[in-house]
Amino acid sequence: MTQQELTAYIQANFDGKLTLLDTGRAEPMFEVRSENLIESARRLRDDPQLKFEFLCNLGGVDTGQRLEIVYSIASLTNHLRLDFKLALAYEHPSVETMTVVWPAANWYEREMFELYGIEVKNHPDLRPLLLPENWNQGNPMRKNWDAPDFVRMPEL
Amino acid sequence: MGVIKKIPIYTESIPGGALVATNLEAVLNFGRSKSLWYLLFGTACCAIELMCTGASRYDFDRLGMIFRASPRQADLIIAAGTITKKMAPRLRRLYDQMSEPRYVIAMGGCTIKGGPFYYDSYSVEKGIDHIVPVDIYIPGCPPRPESLLEGCLHLQEKIRTQKLSEWQEK
Repeated sequence: MTQQELTAYIQANFDGKLTLLDTGRAEPMFEVRSENLIESARRLRDDPQLKFEFLCNLGGVDTGQRLEIVYSIASLTNHLRLDFKLALAYEHPSVETMTVVWPAANWYEREMFELYGIEVKNHPDLRPLLLPENWNQGNPMRKNWDAPDFVRMPEL
Repeated sequence: MGVIKKIPIYTESIPGGALVATNLEAVLNFGRSKSLWYLLFGTACCAIELMCTGASRYDFDRLGMIFRASPRQADLIIAAGTITKKMAPRLRRLYDQMSEPRYVIAMGGCTIKGGPFYYDSYSVEKGIDHIVPVDIYIPGCPPRPESLLEGCLHLQEKIRTQKLSEWQEK
């Protein structure tokens, strides 16, 4: 299955739950709504034509207007790659855990939780992962974040 | 390389052996400066230069510097690399586990003042002298092995000239 065939297959078979974004890049990027997230992910994993059984990466993005979560998945059986993202508002961002579909999401979601402050519902073990144990200065990867000893790079 | 200063020794033969009178401070300082065993503490790219200095081309062993994997056996920490805020308490703990006398070399820009992570970084400690007392600073990003060797020679010089009476716990 080529990249174009994959895009066409997903557009034909996912009832519009995964919408193609116009990014101008060679690799397609899909967007999913949070109510369809787990169901769509399960179908991507279990569809015999796709079999996306491998979660490569999961990360948060702060665009300045909204928060996003980007899931990068791959199929080792069918040699496919796919990215899809989920948009969240700044007020109380929360998402269902992806560990029920891909257990590899566990640590990625812990990292996202502490760096972006995105709450992950039903996560099996939502403890801080990377920051120091006594960290109390918020979520450092947010665009509007500041801390007492944080020094911004001067404009050059 | 540096000039080896002679230790003041006075010997007098007596039946069955010899009497030796010497300066305890000079002997202790000589011994300490020539056997600086350092703790393996490489946390970033400076560790590559540290490894290179320890390998055959630059040959740390000729200064009597041998790496140790345990702070109990080490006299010196070469803090080679970025110290993050999460790593800082661990560095302090390793320093506390070393036996006196102990020395610290801050290698590279990150350990001196945060280096390239001084701006726009939430996770990097801006200088390890907030955590442990530093004897020698070696600037560079990372410093070449020659710089590290010169820093170690400076540390040896510092140890050779230290006074026992002025020694105090840091």
